[in-house]
Amino acid sequence: MILFREYILPRLIQWLVVIFIGVTVTFLVPRLSPVNPVAQAVGRASAFQTLSPEATLALRESLMDLYGLNGTIWQQYINFWKRILSGDLGPSFTSFPMTVNAMIGNAIGWTIGLLGTTVIIAWILGVILGGLAGYFQDRWWSKLVENTLIAIYPIPYYIVAFVLLMILAFYFPIFPLVGGASGAPGFNWNYLSSLLKHSFLPALSIILGATAFRFIMSKALASTEVSSDYVQYAEMAALPRRKILFSYVIRNTMLPQVTDLGLSLGSIFEGALITEVVFGYPGIGNALYVAIISADYNMIMGVTLLSIVGIATASLLVDLTYPFFDPRVRYR
Amino acid sequence: MKTYSRISLFGLLLLVGILLVACGAGPAASPPAAGGAAPAPAAKQQEAAPAQAATNSQLPVDVPRNEVFVADQIFRYSVVDNFNFWINGPHTPHRHALMMETLWIRDQETGKRINDAAISGPKYNDDFTQMDVDLRDNIYWSDGVQFTADDMVYTVETIKGNPDLNAGGWSTQLNQFLDSVEKTGDFSVRFNLKDPNPRFHSLFEARWNGIYMMPKHIFEKVDDPATFTFNPPVTLGAYTVTQTDPNGFWELFTRRDDWDRTPAGIIVGQPGPKYVLTIFYGDSAKKAIAMSRGDLDVYFDVDFEAFQTTLDTTPTARSWYTKFPWAYPNEVSTRQLAFNIESDPIYAEKDVRWALALALDIVDLQTSYIGGVAKVTPLPIPPTASLTKIYLDPMEEWFQNLEIEIEPGVMYKPYDASVPDKIAAWAEGEGYTVPGAPREVFGTGWWKYAPDVAERLLVKHGFSRDNNGKWLKPDGTPWTMDLQSPPDENDAFRMANAATDMWSAFGIDVNLQGLERSVWSQNNYVGQFNVSTPWTSFALASGDAWPRVRALHPDFYVPNGEDYRSKGGGTLARINDPKLGEFIDQMQGLDPSSEENFAVTRKFLEYWVENMYDITAISFKKFVTWDERYWTGFPTSENPTYMPLYWFQGGKFAFESLKPVSQ
Amino acid sequence: MVVIRDLFRFSPSFRIGATILFFILVLVALSFFSPFAPDRRRAVPRNKEPSAEYIFGTTSTGQDVFWMLTFAVRNSLIIATVAVAIGRSIGVLLGMTSGYLGGLFDRVSSSIVDTFIVIPRLPLVILIASILRGHMTIIGLAVLLGLLDWARPSKRYRAQILSLREREFTHTGIFAGMNTFKIVTREHLPFLIPFLMADAVSGFLFAIGFEVTLSVLGLGDINSQTIGTQIYWGNYYQSLLTRRTWVLIAPVAASILVVIGFYLVSISLSTYLDPRTRLARMQIQG
Repeated sequence: MILFREYILPRLIQWLVVIFIGVTVTFLVPRLSPVNPVAQAVGRASAFQTLSPEATLALRESLMDLYGLNGTIWQQYINFWKRILSGDLGPSFTSFPMTVNAMIGNAIGWTIGLLGTTVIIAWILGVILGGLAGYFQDRWWSKLVENTLIAIYPIPYYIVAFVLLMILAFYFPIFPLVGGASGAPGFNWNYLSSLLKHSFLPALSIILGATAFRFIMSKALASTEVSSDYVQYAEMAALPRRKILFSYVIRNTMLPQVTDLGLSLGSIFEGALITEVVFGYPGIGNALYVAIISADYNMIMGVTLLSIVGIATASLLVDLTYPFFDPRVRYR
Repeated sequence: MKTYSRISLFGLLLLVGILLVACGAGPAASPPAAGGAAPAPAAKQQEAAPAQAATNSQLPVDVPRNEVFVADQIFRYSVVDNFNFWINGPHTPHRHALMMETLWIRDQETGKRINDAAISGPKYNDDFTQMDVDLRDNIYWSDGVQFTADDMVYTVETIKGNPDLNAGGWSTQLNQFLDSVEKTGDFSVRFNLKDPNPRFHSLFEARWNGIYMMPKHIFEKVDDPATFTFNPPVTLGAYTVTQTDPNGFWELFTRRDDWDRTPAGIIVGQPGPKYVLTIFYGDSAKKAIAMSRGDLDVYFDVDFEAFQTTLDTTPTARSWYTKFPWAYPNEVSTRQLAFNIESDPIYAEKDVRWALALALDIVDLQTSYIGGVAKVTPLPIPPTASLTKIYLDPMEEWFQNLEIEIEPGVMYKPYDASVPDKIAAWAEGEGYTVPGAPREVFGTGWWKYAPDVAERLLVKHGFSRDNNGKWLKPDGTPWTMDLQSPPDENDAFRMANAATDMWSAFGIDVNLQGLERSVWSQNNYVGQFNVSTPWTSFALASGDAWPRVRALHPDFYVPNGEDYRSKGGGTLARINDPKLGEFIDQMQGLDPSSEENFAVTRKFLEYWVENMYDITAISFKKFVTWDERYWTGFPTSENPTYMPLYWFQGGKFAFESLKPVSQ
Repeated sequence: MVVIRDLFRFSPSFRIGATILFFILVLVALSFFSPFAPDRRRAVPRNKEPSAEYIFGTTSTGQDVFWMLTFAVRNSLIIATVAVAIGRSIGVLLGMTSGYLGGLFDRVSSSIVDTFIVIPRLPLVILIASILRGHMTIIGLAVLLGLLDWARPSKRYRAQILSLREREFTHTGIFAGMNTFKIVTREHLPFLIPFLMADAVSGFLFAIGFEVTLSVLGLGDINSQTIGTQIYWGNYYQSLLTRRTWVLIAPVAASILVVIGFYLVSISLSTYLDPRTRLARMQIQG
């Protein structure tokens, strides 16, 4: 009971408040833009065909209504919350009549697939390599890995992605230039292998940087553990190296690493925007980018909402389950 | 140990860097040696053996390569699985070419009207209150039902009765003009108009598109035509859609077995490719790469550098002309430097606008900035073959005699008829052969490059120069100009760059803003700019101007600050000139294809030019490029049968003309 | 000075990092002697390969790549520095006051900070930058980036302060009667400074990365020279496709070198200054 009152309840309230404020900010900011979605839509409609003045006016009327841009900001805000709470993210402005729900539905699978696998792979690689490097600090291979990853880590992500694209899709055209997969979706080898082929470069670009980050973190943590008493004792007791490495060193670095993993998984919904734009990958990052450029408020709102909820919830879950992992917190 | 591995890492990076530089520093024309280990990108190997290339083709569908025509989809579809083209939203480019029919199609290359679902042109009664149309009696929907007048009447009445079916403003306009429609026979229809309107038929005559025919037998069973997704569509065109990518990157169309019972098949007389695949590869670079690999048979446009790459890597590819200037020059639109005359009083003065025009060197603009590949025109009328005959040629004498007043009593002739010849001389200096007379290839004359005269015009109105040679406005403040252009509209942005460089050299402080497309258009709408780079044409391919210039009528004028379309029409220039209104009123009642109409339009254009309301520089060009690896028969300058703009509704004839390359 | 000499002698990462930084600074200094103004186009013949006359070649807009690179590096560094200064100032102030004061202030400000952490930054920045596109200046970009990156750092500073407060030597100091100010400056600062430095450099790297990302998308100040805008213009004129890669390699290599240089220097400096390793070193030196 005390635990609930002192710890869980405030945390839950914080979760709600954070989402509420985040969503409000994302509601307001696009509306501060001078770009008027109705004007844009009318412009798009008259880009190819000549709309008569009467038709232009009629179009504007119907769009104002459709986009829910009638009324004051406050009224729009209220209507917006009503809609959101019933699960309807509204129609997309630029891709009418597609709904935001439908568009996110089409794209989310790709992002989750790409980021889900890369986050986990990078985490595992980083933890293991970092642990190894932290433990075997003086070996040549440890230093080589460390130096390579330290050199890669600071490079801006865009540059990494761009250089990969340049080398492996352009100069040596091994990988395709755009898209998520080829052919119609199905559980056949053709489709699945094309899936792998299309996602290899984006995944590689993410894994490089993410592994480097995890490695550095992991190595630092492992180094601290290595110099501690119980490890030295284990070594003197001639326990097998592998056991010391995995059961003692790496295991004790798990706490912050696992929470980081949780948070990383939560931010999957943010989408890998740059990755998807550079590699033409059809995930929600790409959809968000297009939405921003074309002033599609509903779409921006939908994806950002998903992202905010994802990150906040992951953070909440991590905080709530932390006591179960860390005995020290439990006994406080 | 530590030092060694760090140094070796650094050396490795350096090596990689040097390798890349070595790749890059090679001659631009040849493919990179790239260490020799991996196959050089496409270039030589692919074009030698098209049959082999079929096996490493990266197409997303499993059809024989020599039976499918791969076209550039231009953009990624965001609205998927919805073929209801009567509402605003679902994408129409090339889909309507392959599947939708209207009554007539106006071809932009020949300027002629082609009878699509109609068998002959519109027949008006004497006072233009009634229009009769005779339809083809030999065309069928893709499910075997014949197209009859019932479909026509159903289409018109359904659109008229449902304000949501307002793609192209059709519902609004039908309600505005049409009283009733009735069938006068199995294949003939009569339209009864509310008021005399000699242009009513333009609703059914495609420039971009015309009212699409709806299949009555499908739509009458549907509760709400506006929410019906019409998937898969029953088509009147020669193709049906058979596979779509849920992510919007590609779409596969299959030719109907009864292609000869569709208008395109009947008119062109041949089947066309068995499959058409539209696919979006990405930006210009990716399209050029795809074509070089044999994965793309036509792209709609790329930037100049990417096009050069195509020329270098894909010998079987060609655009409208096989050699310089390559690009298709006859798309009906032109590019302007447009003023917001209410943004600053100086722009409201016509002499200032003339001065700015005379401070531009059009030959330099067209050659260094545009590469010599677009036509020059001083009017918002592109110098296509048909429009030149109607407007530019008859007006040439007027241009040459045009005079403007520099100082009281001092007249000056600003027109330079030799501009095309100068460009031709430049082209020959670059080693190109000019494929025709300079006036055919490079457009018409333009204004002289006369900064000294421009200076005198400005001084006359109280402008002066400061100690650094920069211009000061009559009120003594420095002249700064906000010039806005979207970088992703290639030619517009390069034209803006040219204007920036030239006007800066002239002494104006030009602030070139490369804006996001949506922000740029927003600024245009509300008037937050001095000079912008829009594009338009004052005439349709048929030569009629009224539908395009109608918005300039002073009735639609909205003062600066509000969206200029608040009354439905208007122009970003904020022009409020009653004389323009007079011309427009005159045009309204005239038969659009009559010489009377054209004569009034010419007077309108003369007035427009005298006032220099905008500075039109070049017309549109597109590097519509076709690869002859698998398919041939498309329109070219040697074979200008139809326009090559395959994404317009009239592109159906280009598709239908394609034949496989015989091995 | 002794510090620098020691570092140079004993730490290979410092050696390499400092050497790289030296060259970068030479580049920046050279920018003041450039024969070409950074915004002047058509100053040299276009699209020329690297040669004796044009060390890194020329661009499609008629600018010398090498001299433009000097401006680009200078401007990118300025942007990153200003961004870090703004961001870390806010972060340090907020984090430290939060950590020291505790209580209600701490709880409220932590919630505010958590809210900002949750909002995805990249889309927000792209949104703002696309609205301001065409009006963005170098300093404007720097301010925008600075205002992005204060939330997470402030959390870290707060965490540091909290952990320092619980340490033994703090308690010792309090028992010994030192006032708060003395504790902060004498006991905590030596721990904080290396942390601050490492954190500032990571902020610096983040700012450079973001600047490159934004400018490459065309959302920075495309009329100025920065590393990102050089890449943007290189892409705009299809340098890859037309095999004129020298236009792109220069800024890409420069960006890699800048970040690696700063990073190496920072980790070697912070290892050196970290009181724990310093103690270990002192023990060894006897």
